[in-house]
Amino acid sequence: MQSRYVRRFSASERLAHWLHFLAFTVLLGTGGFLYMPALQPFTVGAAGEAARLAHRVAAVVFIVTPLLYLMGDSRGFLGSLRESFSWGADDLRWLRLAWRYYTQGANAEGVPPQGKYNAGQKLNALTQIIAFILFTITGLIMWFGHGAVAPAVFRWSVIIHDLSVTAVLALFLVHLYQVSIHPFTRESIMAMFEGVVTREYAEEHHGKWYEEVKASGEVG
Amino acid sequence: MGKVSLLIDTSKCTGCRGCQVACKEWNDLAATDTTNWGSYENPPDLSASTWTRIAFHEVEGDSGVKWLFLKQGCMQCTQAVCVEVCPTQALQHHDMGFISLDQERCNGCGYCAEFCPFQIPRLEANAFTGQGKITKCTLCQDRVTNDMSPACAKTCPANAIYFGDRQEMLATAKQRVDELKAGGHSNASVYGETELGGLGRMYVLLERPAQYGLPENPSPALAGFWQKGIQPFGYAAVGLTLLGLGFNWLAQRRNSALSVKAQEEA
Repeated sequence: MQSRYVRRFSASERLAHWLHFLAFTVLLGTGGFLYMPALQPFTVGAAGEAARLAHRVAAVVFIVTPLLYLMGDSRGFLGSLRESFSWGADDLRWLRLAWRYYTQGANAEGVPPQGKYNAGQKLNALTQIIAFILFTITGLIMWFGHGAVAPAVFRWSVIIHDLSVTAVLALFLVHLYQVSIHPFTRESIMAMFEGVVTREYAEEHHGKWYEEVKASGEVG
Repeated sequence: MGKVSLLIDTSKCTGCRGCQVACKEWNDLAATDTTNWGSYENPPDLSASTWTRIAFHEVEGDSGVKWLFLKQGCMQCTQAVCVEVCPTQALQHHDMGFISLDQERCNGCGYCAEFCPFQIPRLEANAFTGQGKITKCTLCQDRVTNDMSPACAKTCPANAIYFGDRQEMLATAKQRVDELKAGGHSNASVYGETELGGLGRMYVLLERPAQYGLPENPSPALAGFWQKGIQPFGYAAVGLTLLGLGFNWLAQRRNSALSVKAQEEA
């Protein structure tokens, strides 16, 4: 009997994803105080010291998570990395028609079939990778560089760190919307809880990937 | 009371460091073990327990090496970068023209230390947890708000440190510079009249500011970048994103309704 589901994410991938989510939200909360004048009482005195400490603990989790992912599922890690960096004509066409995809659906006229990740997901991944590198470098400079690096280096680290947050926060909101609110795509959140999506979802939204999985014989 | 200022006449300073001791006494700061590190100046830098010190600048002139003494400490800027970057308002402008510090509010982030154009505030924090408090000269805020002069000014045996109404200090400084110029010190100048909107610590200098390690044109580098740059940019980016998502939700709902209707009619 044919299974109703197609495997999408391994246990390691899901664990890494949720660790990243946890670390990111703590980092966002404890760092976000700086941006929002209304929340600034949380930066003052002992509360601020606690927030800064929590930010550092979460930063360690944030930095270590990709390594855990790599150790737990190197094939998934490298496969996803490779996929995020491989761009073809269909990806560019998908990007041009992204609004149509998100307003009329995956079967709308002209929307090309996508691989395991659509072009939007690839863009998100690339931005996250760049931001991860920037966060890590500038964060470590601010953590350990006090008094050791030139003031200008420290100052620009603060600014780059803060601008990276803006980019990542905007993408985070789009991501949340897609997996929890948008009626066309929200069922895909199943992949992060159960590790699978329905056969129909895979075929409709990630046609190329579905064909590959079928050809490899992983689904009947 | 209007704006006050310190005025340090470097031409009168003998480098005795009585001000360093008076500062530590009044502010209850620990003494520092010092070593001979090749200079008569000590301690070698400002620190959490040294809020003021005399820097000894050795300058070669026609008549051999001479010392230029500079009493370092917070410059009490009118355009204070530290106040702008402080997320907790531990650092604030006081009506009397100095930068007050409330250590209870400080969370030890150290941004003031990194953004100060004069590198005055010092943070001694745990390297891993980052816990610590910023320290700097506050012009003896507890003394000057009670009609007393700062401990350093009170103690200076050479009468090189004046304290009082800023306009009076400025007039005294200019008069002294005129005297020095008449006496042959052609490079004499007042430092702090207009720098960063006017400083609450002014100097009468014998030589160019650079020879004392002072920036000729201190700039409030990147000051206000949060309030004027990153915050509006962040709000705009997040706002536009939410707006776009809202439009998307309405558009997909309309299309879905249309296609359901088309199916019903077919």
